[in-house]
This record gives sequence, C-alpha cells and structure tokens, in this order.
Amino acid sequence: MAEDVPATYRVTLRNRGDAVIEVGADEPIYDAALAAGYQLPIACAYGGCITCAARMIAGKVRQPKGTALNRRQSQAGYILLCVARPKEDCVIEVGVESHGDLYQNPFAVKRG
Amino acid sequence: MMSDNEKACCGGPGYASPAEAMKAPREKLLYTVALYTGTGIEKPDYLATVDVDPDSPTYSSVIHRCETPNIGDELHHSGWNACSSCHGDDSKSRRYIILPGVRTSNLNIYDTADAKNPVLHKVISGEEIKEKTNLSAPHTVHCLGADIIISMLGDADGNAPGGFLHINEDFEIVGRWENDITGMNYNYDFWYQPRHNMMVSSEWAAPNTFMPGFDLDDVGAGKYGQSIHFWDFEGKKIVKSIDMGAEGMIPLEVRGLHNPESNEGLFAATLSSNVFRWWKTDDGDFEIEKVIDIPTIDVEGFPVPMPSLITDILISMDDKYLYFANWLHGDLRQYDISDIKNPKMTGQVWLGGLLGKAPEVNGVAVQGAPQMIQLSLDGKRLFVTTSLFSTWDNQFYPDMKDKGGQMYIVNCDTENGGMSIEPNFVVDFGKEPNGPSRCHEMRYPGGDVTSDIWM
Ligand code: FES
Repeated sequence: MAEDVPATYRVTLRNRGDAVIEVGADEPIYDAALAAGYQLPIACAYGGCITCAARMIAGKVRQPKGTALNRRQSQAGYILLCVARPKEDCVIEVGVESHGDLYQNPFAVKRG
Repeated sequence: MMSDNEKACCGGPGYASPAEAMKAPREKLLYTVALYTGTGIEKPDYLATVDVDPDSPTYSSVIHRCETPNIGDELHHSGWNACSSCHGDDSKSRRYIILPGVRTSNLNIYDTADAKNPVLHKVISGEEIKEKTNLSAPHTVHCLGADIIISMLGDADGNAPGGFLHINEDFEIVGRWENDITGMNYNYDFWYQPRHNMMVSSEWAAPNTFMPGFDLDDVGAGKYGQSIHFWDFEGKKIVKSIDMGAEGMIPLEVRGLHNPESNEGLFAATLSSNVFRWWKTDDGDFEIEKVIDIPTIDVEGFPVPMPSLITDILISMDDKYLYFANWLHGDLRQYDISDIKNPKMTGQVWLGGLLGKAPEVNGVAVQGAPQMIQLSLDGKRLFVTTSLFSTWDNQFYPDMKDKGGQMYIVNCDTENGGMSIEPNFVVDFGKEPNGPSRCHEMRYPGGDVTSDIWM
C-alpha cells in the first residue's frame, strides 16, 4: 500500500446526527460504530442474514462473504455493516429506519 | 423441582401417558419468546412469562421478562431438558428451557425453578457450536432421555444442509448427532417415535437463503426444500426421502400422534399450503399422502395468487383434533382427525391477515396473523401469537416492527368441534416497557402438546 493512502476512512452516519467515525480499511463498519458508542442492528455477524443492513449514500465498500443481499437490494444501495469495510470515505444511513426499501412482499410484485 | 402442573406418580417429569397429561391441572403460566430483532430497538430478545390464570389479578399480562445476554439472537423455537419420556426417572426434572437464537446460533438456557421468574442459567455460544460441529442456526429442540438434540439449519457459514447438534444434560456439546446425513438437502423440524425406531425431518432452506427474507426467485432456483426424510433413529441415518415436488414446497412443522404406540402423524407443506399424513407401513416402509389442500386466493393489489401459508400445526393430546395457522390469509382452523385420512374442518376463526377479515380483535389492531400455536393439555385453550420471523414479518406485515405482535386465546369445543376467540384475553406486545416486540413460540412450565414424547 502506498504511504499516502490512509489506513482509515471517515464514515458518516447520516441519521445519527452526521456522526463521523474512523474505520480501518480492514475493519467492519459495525465494529467501528460499536466502539464509537453506536449500537446498530447485528445478528449473524458473517454477512448471511441481512439484519445489519444499512443504506449507502456515498462511498464504496468491500464486503467479503456478504451473501444476504439480492441484486435489487444492492442496487437500492444496501450494504451489510457486519462485513462491509470502507474503500473510501462513506456516508451511510443506518438502523432499521433505513430499511424502507429493503423488504417487499413477493406476492405484491409483478413477475416478468 | 417439579412444576405445579406436574402431579407425577413416579417422581420424574411429565405424565405417565397422554391420557394422564390431559387430566393435569389447568395451566397458570405460559412462556413466550419476545423479540427486538428487526424492530429498530437495539435490545436483546427475552423470555416473557405471561399470566394465563383467569382468577389472577394480572391475568392476560406479561409478569416477568428475562433478557438474553446478546442482541440479535432472534429467539424462535424452544425446548425442555426433560419431558414425559423421563417420567419414571425421579433424578430428572423439567427445569431448564433451551432457547436457541436462530441468527446468532447462541443457545440460551434458562432455569425455571421459580416458574414465574426464570433466570438465565448458561449460554452455549454460537461461536463454540460452529467451531466444534461446523453447524449454525439452531431450530427444534427435543430431549431424548439424558440427551438433547437440536436441528441445525446450516453449516458454520450459513450454507445447507446443516445437521443435528447433540448436547448432554449438563448442556455441554457432545458433537453432531447424526451418523450420516446423505439425502438431506435442507433441515428444519423433526419428530421422533422411539417405539418405532423412527424420526421424520423436514426442510426449510439454507440460513443464507431464508434469513434475509422470502424471495420467489429463490423458490424458482430450488433453494427451498420440498422433501421429507424418514430416519433410522438408532442408526442415526436417513432411510427414505420423498421429494414432493410442487405439492410439498417448504415442509415445516412435523407432528406425530401422541399415542406412543402410533407410527403416523401429519406435517404441513407451508408454501404449497397442504397438509400431509405420514406413516410407517406394516412392512417397515414409509409413505405420505396429502389430506388437506388450502387453495390460493387472488387478492386485489397482489398480482401473484396468495397461498394461505400454513406455518404451524399441532395435534391435540387425545389425537382427535388438528389445528393449524394460515399466516397470510389470517385464519386458524380446527379439523377432526378421528379418521386421519379424511380430516373434517370443524372450526375456524380470523385474526388479522392480508385478506383483511379481522383487522381488530379484542380492541387491539392485529399485527400479522395466527402463527405459532400452543394447545392446553386438556385441549380446550389454543394460545396463538402473530409473528413469524423478523425479516419475513418485515416483508408481509411491515407495521409489526413498530406496533408489536399479539397473543390471543381461542376456546376450543372438544366435544362437538368449534372455535371462538376468548374475549377477556389479549396480550399486546406493542405495549412492552422497552417498546414493541414480536412474540413467537409458547411453552407451559408443565409441558404441552408439542414438547412431550413418550419413549
Ligand atoms: S449481521 Fe447478519 S448479515 Fe450482518
């Protein structure tokens, strides 16, 4: 890694008063938020269950082993904070209140 | 320590027979799990004690709450350390209730020596289970003498098919129970009939598939189960699997008749919304046949025909009635199964549901619909809760996360058939002190119609 690349990025929690937390490039955002005093939703902690989903407003993350999101959910901007590690500074909306577009009733959707 | 309702002849837990169990004193307390997973309240799930004694001043309310140590468990099903199989063994008692967290794989074990006020006794961490057995996502708990086995729905990474976790009576991990899992695609519930050396297991999906929510594309891709498995119980291996195709999609709860000599029972294929009978033939083979078929309904605003979604079923202690919940349509049904090949519907009530037939019951707006059910030992009171699973609740009944689930009692006529909602009972988990929670599986301190098996 080149020396001018920071080992941590700034992640802004939009709906927690725009709190800014420093997150290591190889640290799950959930862990950093907890250490900073923000208890966010968590369950399986391995990327398989969607409980920790948050919505990305800006930025990029890497999500090793994150399998819980389908294409629609990813396209809507959802990431899994238990596995998501920042690749750059990010702005995210967290908690169940960010889950408005995460779930849909499958019988309410026209199928092609 | 024996609970109040267990008047035993032989010192051990439970009852000498199903007929004896039916004569037990009426239940006064009931436990239910209550969840904050997926509600936006970042608190642990908890075990709630509900007062169900009509002569008590706190009837129809939660009288005790005991949190798990971690958030996000998703408490779901539960089971006892001992049941009527140990009735003749006075060294055993029905004292500890095991509450698995499906999402964290933690096993939370509560001591109910003080029946009103259970306390946390021990936690077996999901990490330890994954490390020692490569299993995750615990579901059904059954005791078998000194041993306890738990169906596990995935491997340590949440992939299918999972297996069975074996723990001992001191709540230590022994290892995996099964010798051979060949033939099983997915795992979910199981029931066993020790006198016939058999076990039946069903299939939901891999945790990585069902935990994020229900997606019809996953059904199309074959990621949900449609097979039922019959086991050689002693040999701990599958002897026959039956793929039911479109008629048997997502087989969940499996029940056996309570008569310990019987070798038959019923299970529901949840998505196909059919009830099947299973039985062992005279020459030792296993067979199934469909005995109830609930049609889909075209609902305005829903382009896909809506299945009823039979999520929980149970059989009364005298093997006379079958009860089941249609979680999307919103009704609870009673069938006379005196002739088990030809069940006859004898009762029905509506509670919530997407058909909108009973949006408010006993003065409370119902969130969800009939889901988990538990029947009193005498068969006269059916307890019902409305939450299924946090992510699925959030898809089908999104208001529940803000308004909580509910618990009702349905009075059941055991002579002539028939059901009616008890007007004086509703526990609204929307009013919990820490905020609205979801209520799910229920157990009585003295055992119930889904906990006890007679060896
Ligand atoms: S906590 Fe399960 S996917 Fe993150």
